[in-house]
Amino acid sequence: MKFTIDDLPVIFPYDRIYPEQYSYMCDLKRTLDASGHCVLEMPSGTGKTVSLLSLIVSYQQFYPTKRKLVYCSRTVPEIEKALAELKRLMDYRIQCAETEEQKEKERGFYGLGLTSRKNLCIHPEVSKEKKGKVVDARCRDMTNSAACQKGRENPGSVELCDWHENLGKLEPGNLIPPGIWTLSDVLQHGRDSKICPYFLVRRMMPFVDIIIYSFHYLLDPKVAEQVSKELSKDAIVVFDEAHNIDNVCIESLSIDLTRPMLDSAARSVTRLGDKIEEIKKTDASKLQDEYAKLVEGLQDAASDEDAFMANPVLPEDLLKEAVPGNIRKAEHFVAFLKRFVEYLKTRMRVLHVVAETPLSFLQHLKDITYIERRPLRFCAERLQSLVRTLELNRIDEFSSLQKVASFATLVATYEKGFLLILEPFETDNATVPNPIFHFTCLDPAIAIRPVFERFGSVVITSGTISPLDMYPKMLQFTPVVQESYQMTLTRNSFLPLVITRGSDQVAVSSRFEVRNDPAVVRNFGSILIEYSKIVPDGIVAFFPSYLYMESIVAAWNDMGILNEVWKYKLIFVETPDANETSIALENYRRACDNGRGAVLLSVARGKVSEGIDFDHNYGRAVIMFGVPYQYTESRILKARLEYLRDQYRIRESEFLGFDAMRNAAQCVGRVLRGKTDWGLMVFADKRFARADKRAKLPKWINQYITETASNLSTDMALTLSKLFMRTISQNPNENQTGISLWTLEDVEKHKAKQKALVLEEAEKQQRQQQVEPMDEDDYGDGGLDDSMLADIDLDV
Amino acid sequence: MPSPTLTAKASYKKLPGLLELTSAHLQWTQDGKKAPSVRISHADASCKSLFCSKEGAAQVRLKLALVSDEAGHNFTFTSAHPTALTDREKFKAELTNIISRNRSGVSTPALTTPTTPSLANTLTNGAPARPILAHVRPTLSRTVSTASEARGSPVNDPTNDFQLRKRVLLSTPDLATLHRELVVGGHISESEFWEGREHLLLAQAAAERQKRGKPGQLVDPRPQTVDGEIKIVITPQLVHDIFDEYPVVAKAYNENVPKKLSEAEFWKRYFQSKLFNAHRASIRSAAAQHVVKDDPIFDKYLEKDDDELEPRRLRDEGVDMFIDLGATYEDHGETGNEKDVTMQAGKQKAVLPLIRKFNEHSGRLLNAVLGDNTNKRRRIETTLEDHYTQIDLEDLHDNQASTGITLNMQDRQRYFEGRSGQTGQDAVNAKAATREMTDSLGGWSHNLSQLKIERKAGDAALNGMTQNVAARLDDKLRNNDIPEGLFRQMRTCQTAANEFLRQFWLAIYPPPADSQILSASTPAQKAQKATKMIGYLEKTPEKVEAIVIAARKEGFDPVRAQTAMKPVLDAVNKAIAFWRARNIKGPGAR
Repeated sequence: MKFTIDDLPVIFPYDRIYPEQYSYMCDLKRTLDASGHCVLEMPSGTGKTVSLLSLIVSYQQFYPTKRKLVYCSRTVPEIEKALAELKRLMDYRIQCAETEEQKEKERGFYGLGLTSRKNLCIHPEVSKEKKGKVVDARCRDMTNSAACQKGRENPGSVELCDWHENLGKLEPGNLIPPGIWTLSDVLQHGRDSKICPYFLVRRMMPFVDIIIYSFHYLLDPKVAEQVSKELSKDAIVVFDEAHNIDNVCIESLSIDLTRPMLDSAARSVTRLGDKIEEIKKTDASKLQDEYAKLVEGLQDAASDEDAFMANPVLPEDLLKEAVPGNIRKAEHFVAFLKRFVEYLKTRMRVLHVVAETPLSFLQHLKDITYIERRPLRFCAERLQSLVRTLELNRIDEFSSLQKVASFATLVATYEKGFLLILEPFETDNATVPNPIFHFTCLDPAIAIRPVFERFGSVVITSGTISPLDMYPKMLQFTPVVQESYQMTLTRNSFLPLVITRGSDQVAVSSRFEVRNDPAVVRNFGSILIEYSKIVPDGIVAFFPSYLYMESIVAAWNDMGILNEVWKYKLIFVETPDANETSIALENYRRACDNGRGAVLLSVARGKVSEGIDFDHNYGRAVIMFGVPYQYTESRILKARLEYLRDQYRIRESEFLGFDAMRNAAQCVGRVLRGKTDWGLMVFADKRFARADKRAKLPKWINQYITETASNLSTDMALTLSKLFMRTISQNPNENQTGISLWTLEDVEKHKAKQKALVLEEAEKQQRQQQVEPMDEDDYGDGGLDDSMLADIDLDV
Repeated sequence: MPSPTLTAKASYKKLPGLLELTSAHLQWTQDGKKAPSVRISHADASCKSLFCSKEGAAQVRLKLALVSDEAGHNFTFTSAHPTALTDREKFKAELTNIISRNRSGVSTPALTTPTTPSLANTLTNGAPARPILAHVRPTLSRTVSTASEARGSPVNDPTNDFQLRKRVLLSTPDLATLHRELVVGGHISESEFWEGREHLLLAQAAAERQKRGKPGQLVDPRPQTVDGEIKIVITPQLVHDIFDEYPVVAKAYNENVPKKLSEAEFWKRYFQSKLFNAHRASIRSAAAQHVVKDDPIFDKYLEKDDDELEPRRLRDEGVDMFIDLGATYEDHGETGNEKDVTMQAGKQKAVLPLIRKFNEHSGRLLNAVLGDNTNKRRRIETTLEDHYTQIDLEDLHDNQASTGITLNMQDRQRYFEGRSGQTGQDAVNAKAATREMTDSLGGWSHNLSQLKIERKAGDAALNGMTQNVAARLDDKLRNNDIPEGLFRQMRTCQTAANEFLRQFWLAIYPPPADSQILSASTPAQKAQKATKMIGYLEKTPEKVEAIVIAARKEGFDPVRAQTAMKPVLDAVNKAIAFWRARNIKGPGAR
């Protein structure tokens, strides 16, 4: 359908629209017009992505400024879904275009998705490598400019990548025909035309209208520096599924060092030294050239192919300066690294927990080794320059050294919002030391600040980002629009239930003290058994942690609970390996399609809880076993809580509750897609009954938890569930159209009403202004309204 | 090559293979070979005898002794126990057919075996050959049978049919009562009763034919106490399940039995071995490890526990991008601090083999039903269309706008011409109509202001409504006081009359044109039946009269009983009137 919002014609690729989609688009447009940021929460499964894309593409195609859209999502499946959604939208737009000229314009629209080399490589050998790091390194060996030059001058001397070479023969900016290309499309195109999909996307980035990639490509400075540097300032940035954005921010600036890593780094340093000696004998001029360049600063940006690691700090402030003298010479730098690695190794020998700020770390470092802060800041850049000069191959073998260098740069750059924690033992009970040096970022605002500063419009959106004001507080920005939408339903299509106790009235909870109590474990188990008896097709169960899931699976098996479940459904369990889990997931879906039905056991915040939908028959019930709190004994979490309290006045319990509930909501929200879909949401924990917990759930879920449904025993919950399923499987008699579904007329009506409201409001204000002086004389039209008049008539 | 009608996994001379019964041959093909190594044409199969292993025997065997070859062929069915049995039964039945045909000297061309069912029927069942077209073949391969039985009516197979009817009656008490009253009471015949109810039998037959799927439980033999001793009871089914679940045990069995170990010895040692403990679905088995003896034979087959973070058996096939979790993992370099200890997957190593066993077991069950290759093919073929349907919000499509199925009509033109001719006569003159309308609307505001609603009318309406409500309430209060006995009597009278009516109209009207059930009755039979039914129906008023009298006796208002029975009486009278009219009009109907 086609309608207008203000003066903007919007093409929406369906015949109808949900009211919340319409208001979402209106608010989105307001944000774009104002060039500001916004936080929008829209119920899961109500077509958030399609509304967002449909509005923004309409916006891009209508206004001549052509602002580029940078769309970030969490996971590759979600990226692929967004691309497919976009592709369908553009097909629809081409279909709808009236004139040939318009059609041409729609056809010329570019949309691409970017992911890693590992996911996009089609080189027959390199793509077989299991580790992404190795793929990157081998790719770099075959595509960096020095290798290419050598290989082209003297064919056969260096192995080059044919796919990359073929790409170079094409005209830049025209590497692929215009249109929307999903990741699988790009891969197929690469295979068909024998060109490299990865560099195709990278090189096309300046020319595309929409680029879709993951959060890290914008938030992680190590990646953003390479990939997203050239994006213009007026681009529209969207973070979809942004409920965990603060964690991504924090992750992108945190680093762990372990003892094996340091050992490997030390070996790499030695190798670097040897290589320098060798080069000195064969080609000393290279090192001199490098030295000369370093005096001028690090400005010369490396091409895509050469860059193997970027600075972990956003570079503006850094690049202009000259590299300090004491690390300019290659051998000096190697000696410098050696000293630094040795220092870290000695720190690891301490057998008690140490927590310190970067400043105190630097002070100690200086006292012991005389390493200053300034050269440390340049560590990462300097290492990259050296590797380039030495023309090293198989960079993956230097990855530990890279990590150390990144660590050095980060620790020397930030004074606030970071903490260094040395943990000599893995757990409290362990006796053999396995030290880890955590460099942890406590403040998500640090990583995202450059994004807010650089781009005019940043949209943060998800199905579950309640409470809304938490995000602006944590990420330190001011939104122009901040909105949470209700779900309009003609009948309740989902049923949230809180089970607080088993049929035997023993309270269930995943609280640490009781979670392994046999009564609790059995009650959890009987919930699963009973639901697998009554629910058709798929059931997804989430546990608060891997540790708990693994122990409870073992316990259930020994108690014979799983044997009971096997009678009704197949059982699949999330495993540590991502590919293995994907296969289990695929089989799970087959079992649901086939009608056999299956249970999937997985972990909230785990691999499956992000980016995988359990709509329709893939998930008729979701069961949350316990509240997915984080592990509060974690020192890193403790440090973060303390920081949030001191800096942003967010109480510890408030943050923990918020974090647990957003993850719970995220898990249960996956069952719905569209308003004809239905599902049960079971929260099995005593603590869900507390009003303050439930208040942190998104409004669209919370409003459907009735007072009775908030404190149930297993048998009561089953009765309610059966009743619900019986009613929901009836054909809905009432027509949804006009209430939860709008046709074009409904949209127009709504608009007219809105306009009338605005006019009325304005009139009222005007009138008030006029009326004010003669306040009491206001009789209006006699004080009789229509209904009163009608009454009078009737009495005659 | 003719397509096989029956296939089953069977071993021959201890080699695994596929036994097929085609329309011309009985043949057996060794696994992995293309050409069948045993091939007996039906004509040759003038077998002397057909032997089967006893029910409940460990192995399901079928022996075929030929005239030309006394030793014959010995096939052992190797699929799961129940399937093997049913397979064998099918083969047996079909072969019996062929053999008996050969014996009786009917020189039917071999090709016609499945296509001349009526003939086969005569031979096997010995039932009188009725002019039936649809017919249930006693044995057929699975795919064919479901298709054909959906078409054919089970009504024509007497023994089978009797069982079916019995079960239908058992499951529906209402129908059983009616049956008892009418059929057992001798009012109508059995087949008459079932006429028009064939769908019930078909449904029952279809329900019975559904095969039970493989149970989902893990194979986990647990010791039981038998006569004071702790034992694991080994049944052939269990053996089969174990072989299926753990191919390594099957391998061990093949390599060691009977040369190195006897069968009993084999199982005894297996259940004491580390291998068995590794296979048990429990993590406690690890604790029991020290009680378990070393076993030189079984320990060879012991695999290392699959408890690393990465599975031992890596599968390299790609998965659909929409559920590819690995791709996300590889989307960007590692960042951030290590996860806390509770969120590190696979910390409890002992559970990993168990979890993997669950996933594999579920996958295997699925593959057993759906086939492994379907899934591979689907992965490659996962197209954009698939993805579109996955992201589609179906309720946002305007279903009403979809183009329906166009109606194909004979003589369409004439139909429309006829219509247009009709409407053409009173075609509206648009201008005149508008004028007329404007004229009639002239001075509407004046008229409207003149409009007064009569108070009386409003009052009357309200009064009417109140009375209505009061009447209904009154009625409700007085209701539901029919004496139990009388009520039952009324009900029986009603159902019986209904059944007679049904039979009557069934006899009157021609059978539905597309009816697959060819009723055996000729027009004459039908007329006869109708007469009989009319006879019953004519008695209905008397019965009603009796009820009314009974009502009076019981002190119940007879008028109400009469009113209650009136619709039935009306319907009966209508039928009688119809019958009379028809008989007067055209005696030819008889």
